[in-house]
Amino acid sequence: MPACQVLPFPLLIPAAKAEFPAGRRPFMAESTAHALNSFLADVERRAFRMARMALRHDADALDAVQDAMLQLARRYADRPAAEWRPLFYRILENRIRDLQRRRAVRGRVLAWMPWVRDEDDATPDPVQLAPDPSPGPVAQLEGEQIGVALQAAIGMLPARQREAFLLRNLEGLDVAATAAAMGCSEGSVKTHYSRALQHLREQLGEFRP
Amino acid sequence: MKNQSGDEQSSFEKRAQELLRDSADQLDGATRSRLTQARHAALAQLGSSSGHRWLQVALPGGAVAAAAVVGLILWNGMGPQAGGSNAMEDLELLADAEGYDLSQEPDLDFIEWAAAMGDTKAGT
Repeated sequence: MPACQVLPFPLLIPAAKAEFPAGRRPFMAESTAHALNSFLADVERRAFRMARMALRHDADALDAVQDAMLQLARRYADRPAAEWRPLFYRILENRIRDLQRRRAVRGRVLAWMPWVRDEDDATPDPVQLAPDPSPGPVAQLEGEQIGVALQAAIGMLPARQREAFLLRNLEGLDVAATAAAMGCSEGSVKTHYSRALQHLREQLGEFRP
Repeated sequence: MKNQSGDEQSSFEKRAQELLRDSADQLDGATRSRLTQARHAALAQLGSSSGHRWLQVALPGGAVAAAAVVGLILWNGMGPQAGGSNAMEDLELLADAEGYDLSQEPDLDFIEWAAAMGDTKAGT
């Protein structure tokens, strides 16, 4: 096993430290590890919600978020922390699209082989296929169906519109950061966002207080 | 937050934002646990990535070298052959069940003469 670079900063995150094999030293500075841990802890739940709305499958959504975390840590941990958020969401969206494409291809192949059972989809679980059922407190007060309907409607948006709407409203990114995360111009973000808003209004109407 | 046109958020956007953020805060314990595990796994990559850097360099180089060796072997095998094709013909003859069976030929003197003539011609 090749010797790794040894720095005077020990990694102090217990769970991560336990993963290092004997004789291998972490090379990343403690401050970076802590910053990355804080960043991922901050975004992970919202990222899961985004992936869940796009993929409508809990396990796939968890896989997408985990892959995005791994790639960010592996490839971009040494980048400035300010760049992590758009990078992370760009990775996540790419992973979501990969999973959607894979699912579509699998569906086409299985359509030609009806005798082959797909372990994941052989017995469609109506609970899995349904929009995410866990509403927030506001939705509980106003009626659970609003939150469920909103998430279902967002899940039906075209990918770029969904991405723009969620990055702006769930993650709270401004137009410039959303453009960086989506890899497009700010003008495109505004267009996608506007169309998403129009579609959602048409489907849901104004929320009543 | 201002919307895409620079105006204040509409009530629709505010309400959607509240609902979405609440839903993210209300994840069940099992999902939160899986996310925490995923985060720890990602952080563990910080210490192991440098150990695999040599593989990232060595593996493509090794693949190129292996491809070159295979190519060289194939190129040699497809080149002009002096005795290889004869050996293959011999094998085909031996394997041919309907071939001429020399052991049943009664005129062995003729066969010996023909073989001697063949050797003589080959020697010249």
